[in-house]
Amino acid sequence: MAQRLLGRNNVALVGSVIGLSSLFFSWLTLRPNRLAAGTHISLWDSAGWAATAIIILWLACLVSSLSGWGKSGNRRAIYLGMTANIIVVVALVLVGLTATLLVGDQSPLLRVSLGAGFWITLAGAYIAIFAARERLRGRGAWRNAVSWTALAAFGIFLITGLLQNLSIWQEFSGRESRFLQELGQHLFLLGGSVATGVLLGIPLGIWAVRSKGAERPIFFIANITQTVPSLALFGFLIPPLSALSFAFPALRELGIRGVGTTPALIALTIYSLLPIVRNTYVGLRQVDPAAVDAGLGMGMSGFQIFRKIEAPLAAPLVLQGVRIASVQVVGLVAVAALIGAGGLGWFIFQGIGQAAPDLILLGAIPIIALALMVDAVMRAVVRLATPKGTGKESQ
Amino acid sequence: MIRLEKVTKSYGVTVAVSELSLEVNQGEVCMLIGPSGCGKTTTLRMVNRLTEPTSGRIFVDGQDTAHVRPEQLRRSMGYAIQGVGLFPHMTVSKNIAVVPHLLSWEKERIAQRIEELLSLVGLNPAEYAGKYPGQLSGGEAQRIGVARALAADPPILLMDEPFGAVDPMTRERLQAQFLRIQRSLKKTVIMVTHDLDEAIRLADRIAIMEAGRLVQHDTPEAVLSRPRNKFVHDFVGTDRALKRLSRISVSGFVRQSPSISISASVEEAAAACVRRRWVWVVDENQRLRGWIDRDSLHEVASVRESIVATDPEVIAVAETATLREALSRMLGQGLRSVPVVDDRGRLLGEVTVTDVENATAAREA
Repeated sequence: MAQRLLGRNNVALVGSVIGLSSLFFSWLTLRPNRLAAGTHISLWDSAGWAATAIIILWLACLVSSLSGWGKSGNRRAIYLGMTANIIVVVALVLVGLTATLLVGDQSPLLRVSLGAGFWITLAGAYIAIFAARERLRGRGAWRNAVSWTALAAFGIFLITGLLQNLSIWQEFSGRESRFLQELGQHLFLLGGSVATGVLLGIPLGIWAVRSKGAERPIFFIANITQTVPSLALFGFLIPPLSALSFAFPALRELGIRGVGTTPALIALTIYSLLPIVRNTYVGLRQVDPAAVDAGLGMGMSGFQIFRKIEAPLAAPLVLQGVRIASVQVVGLVAVAALIGAGGLGWFIFQGIGQAAPDLILLGAIPIIALALMVDAVMRAVVRLATPKGTGKESQ
Repeated sequence: MIRLEKVTKSYGVTVAVSELSLEVNQGEVCMLIGPSGCGKTTTLRMVNRLTEPTSGRIFVDGQDTAHVRPEQLRRSMGYAIQGVGLFPHMTVSKNIAVVPHLLSWEKERIAQRIEELLSLVGLNPAEYAGKYPGQLSGGEAQRIGVARALAADPPILLMDEPFGAVDPMTRERLQAQFLRIQRSLKKTVIMVTHDLDEAIRLADRIAIMEAGRLVQHDTPEAVLSRPRNKFVHDFVGTDRALKRLSRISVSGFVRQSPSISISASVEEAAAACVRRRWVWVVDENQRLRGWIDRDSLHEVASVRESIVATDPEVIAVAETATLREALSRMLGQGLRSVPVVDDRGRLLGEVTVTDVENATAAREA
């Protein structure tokens, strides 16, 4: 009751507290070269105006998350969300300018990398943005502004070169073509395995619904493969595929080998199967049997029932399965780099090998961004595929 | 029109329907009834080949259905089921249009038919055509289910408890509406039910089944007065006289009854209550508002203040209702008469306990 009177938003509150705590950590690390130990730079050491601005903005977030979230909390959500966006923009400007200042005309080996403080502020800001977004459902324009302003600013800063003296950018600029190549490979492995997963998984799901005998073995296998650690599955595929390509040189010509793209595609396809098979199965099962019976009784053929009734009603759930599989595979592709399949995971393993955290981030950050993008795109596809009359608006 | 000849359906050792022969004449409503598991739904589903008989033959219009493509056979029969089975992703009009669509009717003809059917089942086409099934009440959905079954104007209707999943009040209305529609369309109907009152009310003939066998196939009157064996006797129950009332409409028994306007003075009301203890109260549009009692008129300033039971839904019956409903309303309310209203709630008159008694006596004689 007290909470309702106050109109507090707990998620936003957590974000604000996390954001404020970033003031106690270092925001940048200055190193004479890529691998040497460095000196930590806190917010107070860098530009004073920006530090003051960030503290004030975070205090504003804290105060605004404490009250005003009652029935008409929309305005409060817009206020909090936009403040969090401004924090991100100021933080980016701050680290960009400070890095440029520190590097100056010193040795090209000098590295300025992002510290815990920056990441914590980023995390706090996005928790607050998430809280605001939740509140702004159905308020399209403001919801988009809250979601995308800081990201848009980030894009502009990347293009204008504001961030070019940060060590991640320096790791990237040396490997630009390699980055694009591995990004392409990552997308190829993702698309190839999920597409194969769809082509195999949907028929398997339909088969599991139609045949009692097939249902159990299909799910037994799909569930088992899901529990095999990804690294082990990649490993398991090496001996049989090597043997195959050894026995049939023609296959080797086609690129089938124990390491590289082929085993990666096979393993990733296997992982993408379970969500797709399961959701196809559930999607078809939840179609009202009375609707199918009525369709049959009115003289629709089996194929007409499938095309006009079962398929459209199951489609949203099937596509949810594809979404889950895609997001999952985006992360799993990273591991495929270990068996020589490339992808953005290559930078991660290079970074681990060279004890270069910035190189790890060069692989990890695009993978996270890719996962979020795939998720957003697939959610939109699911929304489009949901037939009218079955969505929430009708209830 | 429909003839089943020694039809048997068995699943392994279980026999669902055993050597059943049944003939349904054109324009006749045949109610299939029996305890659950007696094979009535299986029998219905064999007529449109949703279930294939193990042996025996089924003729429709003299033609053996085994020689007709199932899809084609089914498109010539309307089919309505208990779960209604409306397609949730299609609007009401798309749902109704399914069979005409399968039969490749022209667009204009389909649109015109949808409008006709919605009006026939008492739903405003402009309001309902664009709705989705999720936006309908149970009773509305059942009506759309019936409209959909009638869409291509098939000579035969197969219905499996089409009025099953609604409250008693709505079911009563749907049954009355079905009778009205059937009177004008004269379809050949096979309807499965487990509700004996429904069977008696709607049937031209009732087919009573027990454990896969047809026990008696007769008119409701004959089933009630001459049950063939102990099973039918027990199934029909001891309240046969009461059940017979389900066959009789109140419309033949409505008699004029005293009523006064709700805006009348207390003196006028008291005068109206001299000859009998109570009178019905109507508003300026003749709509029933309740009744007043001689004793309730003391120390009140207006009729409005002393009015009793103002909900016509609870005290009145429709002119399409049966004597049985009228009687149960009387017993439920502790009254010796119930008011009868038309579909707009206007008072038509009343039916008394004496009328019910006379009706029963006349049938017994």
